[in-house]
Amino acid sequence: MECVVQGIIETQHVEALEILLLGLCGVQKESLRIHELCLKSVPNLGSEASEIRILCDLMQPEPAWTVRHVGGSMRGAGADQISVLVRTMVESKASKNVLRLFYLLGYKLDHELLRVGFAFNFQRGAQITVTVSSYSKMLKLHATESTDDTVPVSPGIQMVEVTAPASAENYAEVAAAVSSFCEYLAPLLHLAKPGVSTGVVPTAAAAAASLMSFSGSTNM
Amino acid sequence: MEAQKNERRRRKFIAEIRVLHWQPNAGHTVNSQILAEVSQCVESINGVKEGKWKSTLSFYRPVVKEQANAAEFPRDFLGISLPEQPNKYYFVLRGQRLVVEADSNIQTIMEKLQSYKTRVALNFEGFQYQLGDFQLRVGKVVSIQSESLRGIVMEMEYKPISSWEKSHKIMGEFFDIWQEALSKRPLPGHFVHMEPNFGEFGLSGQYTLQHTAVQYATIMLQMIATAQSIRN
Repeated sequence: MECVVQGIIETQHVEALEILLLGLCGVQKESLRIHELCLKSVPNLGSEASEIRILCDLMQPEPAWTVRHVGGSMRGAGADQISVLVRTMVESKASKNVLRLFYLLGYKLDHELLRVGFAFNFQRGAQITVTVSSYSKMLKLHATESTDDTVPVSPGIQMVEVTAPASAENYAEVAAAVSSFCEYLAPLLHLAKPGVSTGVVPTAAAAAASLMSFSGSTNM
Repeated sequence: MEAQKNERRRRKFIAEIRVLHWQPNAGHTVNSQILAEVSQCVESINGVKEGKWKSTLSFYRPVVKEQANAAEFPRDFLGISLPEQPNKYYFVLRGQRLVVEADSNIQTIMEKLQSYKTRVALNFEGFQYQLGDFQLRVGKVVSIQSESLRGIVMEMEYKPISSWEKSHKIMGEFFDIWQEALSKRPLPGHFVHMEPNFGEFGLSGQYTLQHTAVQYATIMLQMIATAQSIRN
């Protein structure tokens, strides 16, 4: 299970967001370069259609593979009252031939993306991960090596995602920790449940300018 | 200090394991008496009982909307958990010569996908014995659902760190000694070691638990064939 909120930010303000996150989290950022493959079951397989994501972490010395299943989100009055999405999510590391396994089992590639950016992992009432990244479509199959073969999905815009692992027992506290952290980012971006369109916030430019000048003055 | 270092080195290194299965003579089946005799035989050659051991193997079957199209999906899809790495899980697609290692929670993902279901699950369970530099694990193969005896397996492991070629030779010699010790008992069958072609599965060089998983998948094929020939 995980708690998640998402938002977008203009690429020109990403540096300011990075400065803010560095100050808030107190940890160094980690670079992100992930090849995401979304597979869907063929029509005759399974009681209903299913979807699986195979992630390949290209930042590791040897590409590291993970299988991710994102399940249904929590519903009902309780879920409506909290500002973050609570959903089931299971991740399992796997050997490099896991993609071949799912192809052989009857899953077909639906789409693939290259996700490039950075992440902050830190403890703040919960184990929170903030990722700031841009998604690119790949023009050739599995072409992760060259940027010539990729096209940004939303040029000039980056996706920000805040996630934290949770359980049926503690999701309310984790959701509260995520919400309270998101308030610090509010001047730069608005974070909401996935699927809720947020847009960019009008205060972003001023907040970014302020952060950049503050960062500049502290560096001197 | 040196001993600790050696222990750390030893843990990183996975010694070669041979998985053997009991092949009953024509017209015979396996029974618990044979298992008892085999265990006694290990003790008679000074095997020291160390503790229990258990592996599990599950057969996954595709969930299909129209049975007529079931043939397009693999039917020999196995999931294996081994006691040496309880937080890992192994998938073997025998027909396609594929072995995959994943975290054990991949089983939860498979359950959530609802595209494959485990139809039969088998436990391989018994006792572990120490015999000098060798470890022997002797156990029964039982269905989780019915507890009925489906077969007998034995794992043979040569502990000291050495090259694969060297340990392979020593294991071969030990297997001969073991067969000789067992032949003194009038048992209706013998242990068989079928070494799969690991290269076909993309496995080579250093022995890993993926090699063990492939061996289990191979002996299952043999055990099913034996059971079917007895039934026919």
